[in-house]
Amino acid sequence: MKGKGKGKGKGIKGIEFFFVAYVIIVIFTALAGFRFVSVYFGSENKTQDSQTYDKYYVIISDNNQSSFWKSVYEGAYNHGLDNNVYVEDLAATMSDNYSKEELMKIAIASNVDGIMISADDSEEMTELINEAMSRNIPVVTLYNDALNSERISYVGVSNYNIGGEYGRQALSLATTEANNNPDKDVIDVVVLVNQTPTSGQMMVYSTIQEAFDNDALADKLQLSIEKIDNSNTFTAEETIRDIFINREAPDIIICLSELDTVCVYQAVIDYNKVGMVHILGYYESDSILQGIDRNIIDSTIKVDTTQMGEYCIDALFEYDKVGFTSQYFAVDVEVINKDNIDEYMEVTDNEA
Amino acid sequence: MRRNYRDLSIQGKMAIVYIFASVLVLIVNLSLLFGINALLLKLETTYQDNLDLNEINMALDDVQNSMTEYLNVKTTDALENYYISEDNFREKIETLNSVVTNSSYSRIERNIKFMSEDYLDVVSQTIEAKRGRNVEKYRIRYENATELYNYIGSYIDSLNNQQFVNNSESFVELSKGLRITENISITVMVVVIISNIFVILRYSSQITKPLKELSKSADEVAKGNFDIDLVEAESHDEVGVVTNAFNQMVINIREYIQRIKESMENERKHKENALKMETHLKDAQLKYLQAQINPHFLFNSLNAGAQLSMLEGADKTYDYIQNMAVFYRYNLNKADSVITLKEEIDLIDIYIYILNVRFSGEINFEKNIDEKCLNATIPSMTLQPIVENCVNHGIREMAGEGVITLSITRTLDNICISIKDNGKGMSQETIDKIINGTYRNDGLSMDSNGIGIDNVINRLRLFVDSDDVINIISEGEGKGTEVVIYLPINDEGIDYV
Repeated sequence: MKGKGKGKGKGIKGIEFFFVAYVIIVIFTALAGFRFVSVYFGSENKTQDSQTYDKYYVIISDNNQSSFWKSVYEGAYNHGLDNNVYVEDLAATMSDNYSKEELMKIAIASNVDGIMISADDSEEMTELINEAMSRNIPVVTLYNDALNSERISYVGVSNYNIGGEYGRQALSLATTEANNNPDKDVIDVVVLVNQTPTSGQMMVYSTIQEAFDNDALADKLQLSIEKIDNSNTFTAEETIRDIFINREAPDIIICLSELDTVCVYQAVIDYNKVGMVHILGYYESDSILQGIDRNIIDSTIKVDTTQMGEYCIDALFEYDKVGFTSQYFAVDVEVINKDNIDEYMEVTDNEA
Repeated sequence: MRRNYRDLSIQGKMAIVYIFASVLVLIVNLSLLFGINALLLKLETTYQDNLDLNEINMALDDVQNSMTEYLNVKTTDALENYYISEDNFREKIETLNSVVTNSSYSRIERNIKFMSEDYLDVVSQTIEAKRGRNVEKYRIRYENATELYNYIGSYIDSLNNQQFVNNSESFVELSKGLRITENISITVMVVVIISNIFVILRYSSQITKPLKELSKSADEVAKGNFDIDLVEAESHDEVGVVTNAFNQMVINIREYIQRIKESMENERKHKENALKMETHLKDAQLKYLQAQINPHFLFNSLNAGAQLSMLEGADKTYDYIQNMAVFYRYNLNKADSVITLKEEIDLIDIYIYILNVRFSGEINFEKNIDEKCLNATIPSMTLQPIVENCVNHGIREMAGEGVITLSITRTLDNICISIKDNGKGMSQETIDKIINGTYRNDGLSMDSNGIGIDNVINRLRLFVDSDDVINIISEGEGKGTEVVIYLPINDEGIDYV
């Protein structure tokens, strides 16, 4: 600023520039502060504006942890979303463990728009289903039916088909076994059922029996049932191990649930019965597929679980619309064994 | 605006700068506080959902307890409690969401709401049955109610748990936010304060800069250096006023110094002149004294001669001796001072008289004098030596009657004193030498009173402070010489009076 004239002009401009820059900095920092806060508010608010749905269905399964039932739920859930229906796995929302009957009561009291339940033929269940129906809550039985109830529909596999399939598989194994050990008098075949077998399980059992009766090896084949205590969470596994401890290991074990299959699979390994005990499993979870791949499980029944879930929604939707629906939806069934394991493994791998 | 800012007083300027800085800090502070406050509010409400749920749970307990109590004791109080708690509970569940959404909380809320309504129905039926004393009925209904009560409790618990987990997550998030906000606040405050410091320094230096320049200049002036650049007044505040006053002061001081220098120069010249004059006078006196061995003795002797001639009745001798005495007294008394023209002319008269006595009336002295000029002053012994020169060098060496003419006239600017003789005259070369002061005479003539023409010229020049004070005119050999002295007249009238 020593120079006069030019220098003076520059000085004033410099001060003005400095001043403007300063004000800009202050305003910018203040705005940044506000922005920061508003971002925090924004993230809070976003969680609040949620989508609403026309209908609210609940699904009550045997075991919401198993991949079988998870897959069923997923099928139903996704299909529900397509129709603006929210499907909830009721057991998953509760912090306590409740029985299916209790969950049923909760669903009824919650006044939901529809219930999908893996039912049974017990009186209590039938009564609860009837009560729900009387309170205008349509009930679809899923996988396990309650024959005497007023449920609008049953979605499940054809137990007759399954039984026939198991019978065929078992006979094929028995024939191989008989050929390998001609001296063997008895080929022991065990079917694992619930403590109180459902009608479906009994249907499977009798269809297998029927298949055996018509076979040449009928004299040698000895079909029996083992009741698996599924009254609480861990008993099934213990009961299955008891089979290997308390009696001579059967030649063929036919499992009618995913959990049973996995437990038997593990028990066979643990008790060193690989190759001596043939396993006919149920459902195609990763570990079961692995078992087939390793030649420990002979075959398994694949149920199209997604389709099962979708059919439930369709049934409830149709009932809601026109007041009635088909009494029975049959879900597709396939057999997975060593021959076609690769395609399922690939699918699973790809999915993974 | 800038014009206005420049016109402000220093106090005003400083106040504006400081107020501006403070307001900025205030604004930034407020905005940050607002942000932090909003976060804190959010933080406070984080667990509000859980608190609300707990209240619902407590209200539910109240309903269940009051119902149980009524069933047990059937008192009016218990019934009243039941009604109150039922109202309370109903009010609370009214606020719950009843729409199905993809948020699990809202769905659980919806379920709790419907279950609670169902539960209240069952409870009121139980109470009705109790009133109707239908034991079997109210027992079953009580069981149903209790079952529902447990389910609802369990549902509330699971919702509470889920919300607690979620709220804890947002609590952690908010805590993080608070911490970040705190850091940002500190950073922003530091930035703003540093910027403020810069702004204040910048503007205050703008205010004090002219003051510094002024003080620097003042310091220079105090050291005696007046040759400084004038400080430019950029503003119209107090500093501007002081700067302008300072500039004016410096200009005035410079002028005064210039004037004093000039007058001192003049005075010095004057003093120099006086000194020179004195020197020349002293020189003349010395020469005079060398010539006149003892003037007092001569003077007294002449006086004694005059008295003797009077006693003897020799009047002419008396007059002659008397005039001689006057001539020497004059020389003795007035030699060192300035006298009037009249006195000088008297002296010439006496001198001519003496010469005429000596040379028996050979010299004819004519006077043509403007009486008004007689009071003009002139250094003593200036005209007499000129006349002496006329006699010694002009007339004495010629044949025939010598005439010396003294005329004093007055022009517009000068008094002209002309002394003219009809003697032998002189060459122009000689005249130039005399005027230039380079003429050297070979000693004093015997009839001289000791003062040379160059001395006279020098004294006259010093006296009037001009070289043109004297002029010598001669038309050539045998045509006489005229010496003219010009005494300037100043504005006040006749100078040298």
